[in-house]
Amino acid sequence: MYSSLVRIQNTFGFFTTVAFVVAAFVALSDFVAPRTPVIHSLKTTNLQVVRGRPHYYSSKKEEYAIIKFSLDADLSSLFTWNTKQLFVYITAEWPSTTPSGATIASNATANQAVIWDSIITAPSSDHLANIGPATLKKLKKSAAGKPIDPSRGKLSLKNQRPKYQITHPSGKMASTEDVTLRLHYNVQPWVGLLTWNQNVDYGRWLKLQGGLSKKFNLPALKKKDEGKAKS
Amino acid sequence: MAEQILDQVRDVFEGQIDFEGQKLAELLANLALSVVGVVAFLVGYFLQDIKLAVWIGLGGTALTFVAVVPPWPFFNKNPVKWLPVGGGISTQPVNLVIGEKAT
Repeated sequence: MYSSLVRIQNTFGFFTTVAFVVAAFVALSDFVAPRTPVIHSLKTTNLQVVRGRPHYYSSKKEEYAIIKFSLDADLSSLFTWNTKQLFVYITAEWPSTTPSGATIASNATANQAVIWDSIITAPSSDHLANIGPATLKKLKKSAAGKPIDPSRGKLSLKNQRPKYQITHPSGKMASTEDVTLRLHYNVQPWVGLLTWNQNVDYGRWLKLQGGLSKKFNLPALKKKDEGKAKS
Repeated sequence: MAEQILDQVRDVFEGQIDFEGQKLAELLANLALSVVGVVAFLVGYFLQDIKLAVWIGLGGTALTFVAVVPPWPFFNKNPVKWLPVGGGISTQPVNLVIGEKAT
């Protein structure tokens, strides 16, 4: 500590040590906070299978499915002071089939495709959200300066259009049986481990209740002479 | 003349402090940073506000730097007592013979 430079160096070194230890405690504090995520309902509202190019730059025509859904969920308990963002996504899952067309029911999740996802920022990271200045202002105002906003994580989507059309490597999606929608979440903290929805209760963290929709079948392709009537 | 200015500049940047001051600086830095860390965590945890915790941590660290890095006078309360020029011991000649066999 014999010169100013040495004092700067030593002080900064201890500062990084303290910062690391405090960050470790912040990450550990998450385990003390209970998690009670609940899905009240998750169901499909409209099913469509279209034959065409699934994306603008797709080189070949395939059958792709558009699955509209309604979701009523309360994931607000996942937000703590250490939560930066909550990533929520819904996948469509269905079993594989034998060449003759019989479903292999033992592996109900052989095929999984994400149909919709969303990033829900905590008030502490609203400034990082991918939105324009007007929406950002509204978002910040809705949090009203509170570090924890209880309305974040409460999702109420009605007849939501999916973000992604899904295809299958075989190119066929029509009349697929035993499809279900499942909701997943990923808690992204400021410091600490990434955690996803769990199947088992871990201490104060309870498993997700009710994230699975009922089984449904995808419809057949619309015949050309029926026109493009919405089902 | 330039050398005198350079000496002054060097003194400022060296920021020399005496040994007791160095002990105090080390103790002060470690103590202050630890306290800042604990306070930042506790305030952030009970108010559930991580931004506040970060601000308190960074602010407290900045204050610690200000308190410890510059050579404040209270770091120089125990200056080293250098011996006066010449050694301070009596300069009477000592019977010192070099190179002869001891009889």
